[in-house]
Amino acid sequence: MDPSVVATEKTRLPRRGRPILWAFQRPLHLERLALLAQRVSGVAILVYLFFHIFVTGTVTEGRGVWESTMGALSNPLMHLGEWLVVVAATFHAVNGIRVMLLELTPLVGKPARPDYPYEAKSLGKGQRSVLYVAMLMTSLAGLAGVVILWGL
Amino acid sequence: MRESTLQRINYAMILAIFVTLAVHLATHAFLGVSGYEDSLTYASVVGRYRAFSTVLTLGVLLIAACFHGLYGLRNILLETRWGARRHRLVSTATRLLGVAMVGWGLRTIVLTTWGV
Repeated sequence: MDPSVVATEKTRLPRRGRPILWAFQRPLHLERLALLAQRVSGVAILVYLFFHIFVTGTVTEGRGVWESTMGALSNPLMHLGEWLVVVAATFHAVNGIRVMLLELTPLVGKPARPDYPYEAKSLGKGQRSVLYVAMLMTSLAGLAGVVILWGL
Repeated sequence: MRESTLQRINYAMILAIFVTLAVHLATHAFLGVSGYEDSLTYASVVGRYRAFSTVLTLGVLLIAACFHGLYGLRNILLETRWGARRHRLVSTATRLLGVAMVGWGLRTIVLTTWGV
C-alpha cells in the first residue's frame, strides 16, 4: 500500500468540520438530519441511563431512602424529562433499524456510476419510508407518553 | 480488539436491548403491576429483583445498554478529531465509564437480590 495513505501514530490528520453544523449544510437532506437526531437522542439516552443506574441503586439503602428519592423525582420537570426519553428512545430504535437495514441488507442500493444530478443510490425510497415510519412512531410514542404520564 | 469485532458485538447488544428493554418496559406497565406508579413502589421493585427472570433481564439489559451507549459515544468522539493519542484517551475513558456503570448496576442487582 502507498505509505502516504497509511496513518501512522505521528500523522496529524486534519480536523473535521464543525460538529453539529454539517447536518444543516445545503442542500438539506432528511437523512442527514436523521443522523444528527440519532446521535443527539443516543447521547441523551446515555445521560439518562447514567443517572438511572445510580438512582436505581438507592433501592439498596432501604425503603426510606427509596421512597424519599422517588418523592423528590416525582415532579413535572422530571415527568417532562421522562417523556423526552420515551420520544428519543422510540426515534433512536426505529431509525436505528433503518441504519442497520442499510448496513446489512440490499436496501442500500447497488453501486452505479455517479451521473448528474448525482443522487446518492443509498438514499432510495425504501429507506426513506422506514424514516417516515420512525417519525410516525415517535409521534405516537409522544402521544402515548402524554396519556400515561399526565393521564390526559 | 478489532473494530469489526466491536461492531459485531454491537449488533448483538442491539438485539439484546430490543428483547430485554421490551420486557423491562412491560414490567413497569402491565406485567405483574397495575400501572407505572405501582411499579415504582418499594415492595414492587424489591419483589421484581427477587425473581430470577427479572434479574437475568436486568443484568443483560445493563451490560448491553452500557456497551451500545458508550461504543456510540466513543465513535462520535473519535469522528470529531482523529489521532492515535486521542483514540487511546477516548477508548480508555469510555471503558472506565462502562466499568463504573456496569459495576454499580451489578452491585444494585446483587445487593437487592440477596441482601436488603
